[in-house]
Amino acid sequence: MPLINLPAFAGDLLADFERMETVRVDTPVIQPAEPFLDMAGEDLRRRIFMTQSETGESLCLRPEFTIPVCIRHIETATGTPQRYAYLGEVFRQRREGSGEFYQAGIEDLGEPDTARADARAVGDAMQVLANRLPGRRLKVTLGDQSVFEAVIAACGLPAGWQKRLIHAFGDPKQLQKLLAELADPKSAGVFGHEVERLAIMGMLEDEERLVAYIAQTMEATGYSTNTSRSPRDIARRLKEKLELANTRLDKTTLAVMREFLTLDLPLADAPAALFGFAAKSGLKIEAALSLFDARVAALSRAGADIDLIRYRAAFGRPLDYYTGLVFEIEIEGTAAVLAGGGRFDRLLTLLGAREHIPAVGFSLWLDRIEHAVATAGGAK
Amino acid sequence: MTITIALPSKGRMKDEASAIFERAGMKIVAVGNDRSYRGRVEGWDDVEIAFLSASEISREIGSGAVDFGVTGEDLVREGLADADARVEFCARLGFGHADVVVAVPEIWYDVDTMADLGDVAADFRARHGRRLAIATKYWRLTQQFFSGSHGIQLYRIVESLGATEGAPASGSADIIVDITSTGSTLKANHLKILSDGVILRSEACFVRARKAVHAEDPLVDRIIASIRAAL
Repeated sequence: MPLINLPAFAGDLLADFERMETVRVDTPVIQPAEPFLDMAGEDLRRRIFMTQSETGESLCLRPEFTIPVCIRHIETATGTPQRYAYLGEVFRQRREGSGEFYQAGIEDLGEPDTARADARAVGDAMQVLANRLPGRRLKVTLGDQSVFEAVIAACGLPAGWQKRLIHAFGDPKQLQKLLAELADPKSAGVFGHEVERLAIMGMLEDEERLVAYIAQTMEATGYSTNTSRSPRDIARRLKEKLELANTRLDKTTLAVMREFLTLDLPLADAPAALFGFAAKSGLKIEAALSLFDARVAALSRAGADIDLIRYRAAFGRPLDYYTGLVFEIEIEGTAAVLAGGGRFDRLLTLLGAREHIPAVGFSLWLDRIEHAVATAGGAK
Repeated sequence: MTITIALPSKGRMKDEASAIFERAGMKIVAVGNDRSYRGRVEGWDDVEIAFLSASEISREIGSGAVDFGVTGEDLVREGLADADARVEFCARLGFGHADVVVAVPEIWYDVDTMADLGDVAADFRARHGRRLAIATKYWRLTQQFFSGSHGIQLYRIVESLGATEGAPASGSADIIVDITSTGSTLKANHLKILSDGVILRSEACFVRARKAVHAEDPLVDRIIASIRAAL
């Protein structure tokens, strides 16, 4: 490890992590590429450094730590709860800046008290940044995917629409596009002429007949009925799509959703505002809100400076393994994200863990923190 | 300065390109025998012709090793990141038409748009334990179209260098991104193009590498003007 490249504060940072009751882990720099592409999507391919082993296995230079730390946890069959800390180099293709830089962070796996674990992740991230940057005012942005999901569900949309909207959470452009589509009184679905024929034959009302018909056609055309989407998958989604096409949001519900997405306020005021919003709009979202409320309470109890945190209802990350809390930390008045994190309760199962392991964590961009330390006191 | 133009080394692309050059008053003659990979242009002493394969041509233009080339737009856009910053499409030549398209099994009655495909992709892992697999040789175009234009992230590309249309039936992928001119191969394999699934309408193009020295060379403008006049 080229120690000379390490930020000067690396030692102090690791000492902080130790005080935060974590176990330091390291992972190989060369990683199998599959899990990263599988979790983050194909788009990641052009942002990581890939190569192949002699036997043709796709390998990459570690682009981040969360996935390797989780895989290592599963492979070593360590019990939970477990708090891991890491500090090391990661490698990404970037237009600006070096392709290799340091990241550090904490992954908290298996803590059943999610409010407490969430609060601890946010609090720890704020603490280590405050220790590096004394006198600088931090700005924390916090979002919660599960509150958004609860609002969508309570609006009574069909499952297909809920999935679309949830999938777009964190991608404001896509989300606005979907809402506009939902509000458009014209049906947006495009159906092939085959579907018209099925309708005339009366198959759209009769799932069993439709499934049998699809299976028969697949066999006749040389398609296997079990390697890809099955006849039943297709039949069910077709029904879902017909529902999607026929669902139009009434103005009131659309206004409620839009109002929710514009919520942006100090975290301390957020629980009251959310309960108020639920009461006014008549949405049944108490379960999600009480978790939210418990997290805010846990943050206060943990002694975090809650005045630095803002809740933004539309804030999320468009990755399908984030499930609840998401947050980012900057210095007030600057644009560089110094820390980012969130809850990823689905990730360990996706990576092959046999039991459900709730997880939350954050990572720090050490190069950006170093830059902030160097310009301390300056305007930037 | 000598200007090098790369032309397709064989087939219809070569013949059609040569015909346009001849109409442009730039008759191409092979240097040495007929099979030679070098050529010159009658009466244009400062112009050299390099006969290369179509995919090599897009690469050589990208690196600036040649000044001009005739090749398919699909190959340029697939081969080069930031294609428009690195090359100029001087003229569309009216042959070699082919569309790069997203095609899914006909039997997917519920999928006719990219939005439908996005729904299917989002659910795929939960239902099948793996991501939706796309067979293609167009990695870059697929990524740009799926991720950039349609917000679809959750899929995997399975590299396919030939007989891509057969991948869904054989089970090696779920859908394809491929080039098609008449659509008949897709039909024969029971695939359909999504209504908004045309990624690129490609044809043979006369392409210039954006090189700074071209600005001072009147020959560059003369070549472009001659080719355009021949269309």
